[in-house]
Amino acid sequence: MRTVSTAETAATIHPWAIHAQALRVRAGRHLAVDGLDLSLGTGVHGLLGPNGAGKTTLIRALATVAKPAGGKLTLLGTPVDGRADLRPARRALGYLPQHFGFYPRFTVREFVAYMAWLKEMPKADVPAATQRAIDRVGLAAKADARLKTLSGGMLRRAGIAQAIVNDPQLLLLDEPTVGLDPEQRLDLRELLRDLGTDACVLVSTHLVEDVVAACTDVVLVNEGRLLWQGAPEALGAQGDAGHPGDSPAERGYSALLRRHRAEATR
Amino acid sequence: MSILGLELRRSAAAGAALLALAVGVAALYLIPGRWSEGWMPLVLTSKEYLILLWPLALAAGAWQGRREHRAKVGELFATTPRSRARRMLPVLVAMGATLGLAYLLVLVAGGVRIASTASYFPPDVVVIVLVGVLSLVAAAWLGLGLGRLLPALVTAPVLAVAGVLLVFFTAIMRPWWLGAVLSPVYGSSMWYPFQTIDSGVTGALAIWMGGLALAGVLLLVGGSPRARVAAVLPVLLGLGVATAIVPRDKAALLAPVDPVARELVCTDDAPKVCVTRVHANVLESVTPLAREGLAVLAKLPGAPTEVHEYARAIDEENPAVRDDVVVINVRIDDRGGLALPDVVVLEVVSGLGVGYTGDCPRDPAVERAAAYHLLGREPVSDLELYPEMIWEEPELNAEAVALWQDLQELPPAEALSRVAAVRAAILACQDSTGLLSR
Amino acid sequence: MMLHLRARRVPLALAASVGAAALIWALWLIFSDNRDSAALIVVLTIALMVSALSPTLAGPDEDLERAAALRWPRQRALHLLAAVAVVVVVLLATLLTGARFGPATLVLGTTAGLVGLTAACATVVGAARSWFLPLGWTVVAALFPQSSGTWGVLATWQSQPHTNGLAATVAAVLAVGGLATYAIFGAARSATADQ
Repeated sequence: MRTVSTAETAATIHPWAIHAQALRVRAGRHLAVDGLDLSLGTGVHGLLGPNGAGKTTLIRALATVAKPAGGKLTLLGTPVDGRADLRPARRALGYLPQHFGFYPRFTVREFVAYMAWLKEMPKADVPAATQRAIDRVGLAAKADARLKTLSGGMLRRAGIAQAIVNDPQLLLLDEPTVGLDPEQRLDLRELLRDLGTDACVLVSTHLVEDVVAACTDVVLVNEGRLLWQGAPEALGAQGDAGHPGDSPAERGYSALLRRHRAEATR
Repeated sequence: MSILGLELRRSAAAGAALLALAVGVAALYLIPGRWSEGWMPLVLTSKEYLILLWPLALAAGAWQGRREHRAKVGELFATTPRSRARRMLPVLVAMGATLGLAYLLVLVAGGVRIASTASYFPPDVVVIVLVGVLSLVAAAWLGLGLGRLLPALVTAPVLAVAGVLLVFFTAIMRPWWLGAVLSPVYGSSMWYPFQTIDSGVTGALAIWMGGLALAGVLLLVGGSPRARVAAVLPVLLGLGVATAIVPRDKAALLAPVDPVARELVCTDDAPKVCVTRVHANVLESVTPLAREGLAVLAKLPGAPTEVHEYARAIDEENPAVRDDVVVINVRIDDRGGLALPDVVVLEVVSGLGVGYTGDCPRDPAVERAAAYHLLGREPVSDLELYPEMIWEEPELNAEAVALWQDLQELPPAEALSRVAAVRAAILACQDSTGLLSR
Repeated sequence: MMLHLRARRVPLALAASVGAAALIWALWLIFSDNRDSAALIVVLTIALMVSALSPTLAGPDEDLERAAALRWPRQRALHLLAAVAVVVVVLLATLLTGARFGPATLVLGTTAGLVGLTAACATVVGAARSWFLPLGWTVVAALFPQSSGTWGVLATWQSQPHTNGLAATVAAVLAVGGLATYAIFGAARSATADQ
């Protein structure tokens, strides 16, 4: 459960946490996201797609790092395209990039607190929120260890801690399970489910079983466009024994991709 | 936790400041004799050592400035609401404050040594120190900005060497007024007494450094390429204003003299002994020795009654010789007290109390023999007594000893009258050769 | 070999090193009437060139490199010798120009000593910080050379003429000692090669 501020208990006028219409985003010269329509509300959404499908670019655009080249994008009711002020959206945002950059000399606690300061959290709330975030990711024992002494998995969890320190309404995680051992992955799934009860969480991952276990909703993108969106069970129903994959979800995934590629060549 | 405290702990600020402190204190205490005289020499010597500290601050800033690039946090930080300017503020404060404080502590470390002896505190000292602090802060901030602009590993060493070359060559460049504007160490090497730095020069340097500091901040905080190009403006503006206000006359630029420092401070009772204000703390030590010298000279008719310290400033006319005043040099040792106390009496008596003006013929052997006769001991070469003497005519002392021995064989009254004749000849600007041996 | 060089960011380091020397050479040529560059400038240029080459002393992932089957001590020794050669050749080439950076013995001795010292520092604090001590020391030595007194000469060996046996000894000790240390131990590891 998140602690909720009065601003949030005021009637939420936005039906969707993320609302993209014909979104176009460039990655270099290539148009990685090309005409994407997406509407996501509260819950844990898994973002699947092949490499080069534009997943990371989409997440970067949602995190307000990449500016959209066209279309409309609204986060938590505030538009973030054009010349809008991004600060209100960013205050309610949590982001873990795929290549997590950090200050090696900082301790976990210091880095999470620094990120809390960067997210303009009220000063009085920072220590408690930092401790809570560190506890939730299971790094309490290592809270005062320097980031450079942490293993890959612990570093990833520290990254998740900084993403959730401000109790974001919109949480974007790009490959959060990289480097985690199976037990830690289970803990993360539990955390995601908990977070998804009152925030919009978008998890980009290649691990289909994580998506099935933790997500309430699956978003499949390919070549910069939305391919399919639905519940994980429905994904499983898309495929049958004839498609490659070791689980219903994987078979459904390959089925959808194959269908899309077949349509594209037509 | 406080973000500033975090930056102080985890950034290069503390390390750089400690290094600056160590280098500064070591440099000072390696040769304390250079600044033991008083506050202005201490401040000027510290300013001279900015040639080491300024590039150090610049390189430290550059090293720190590449932190965000080095750690690859740009992507993550771009998603946060806090503006870049506000994010950079703790780092700017941390680097600037610690390096400025380090410079002040270097001065304090020197100050504790001279606090008990240095009595004269010119107000210019405060301004020079503050502008020195500003120079280091400007170096740190400029380094931060350049480190962010060019985050390669090679930036810091290049800036270190560039800083050294800049500080060094601008201090010795022509035109002098441009060097006074650009170089943090201009005017700091002491080569004449009562040296100070003109306040116009200090002000011009302050404005130039301010321009550099602002440029550094703009480079560090600027978001777009346009903002970074705008960083050139404070540099040009600072240069322009500084060159407008820097004094252009040679006196202020090349040899500014502190007039208060050379005022004479005298004893209340007779015989009067006076030293310059800057040496006022040794008046008590000098007085008995000077009076001893006067007592020796008192055997002669028309003997001088006062001892003054040599207070001529550079570019000034030689003062006229007064026959009632003996002018001597007062030397300070590296603890701030009177150096070479044994030599003071000799200095009063040598030349029979008459100073050298350069236009009169003088015979050093005759004068030395006469002086030592009054002192009642055999002449000794000056090389052994004065550390600044590096050469003396080899035959001089032997000749003086011979003359002195002749004097010893005469009856005391006759010897004394010959010595008095030598003094009369010197005062009349006539050659005294042969007066002792007639 | 080319990949190895690229991994170590050698081209950039070479460009920075030679470029810095070229810039200082050009400045001396333009602004000074004297054909022989002042010792201060020569020594500082050497120190800067060596500092610019110091990041090449370690690759981005030391553990990965060490696992390779190369004969690392020999490789590392050759690397240092190449660094000395680059600096010496570039500076001695200026002896043919209107701004001479010499004498040759000063260039050779100071370069060898500084490369050795930098390599030894890389063993302790990593390649990224290996230039702190050599450059800092050389700045002090170049600005305040002491021509008399054993400790003075020892402390400012970078600026002493080749006739000074003590300074030459110091340079030789640093060169050989640094070479041996670096060849045996390699650069120190850190979180990333850039730290």
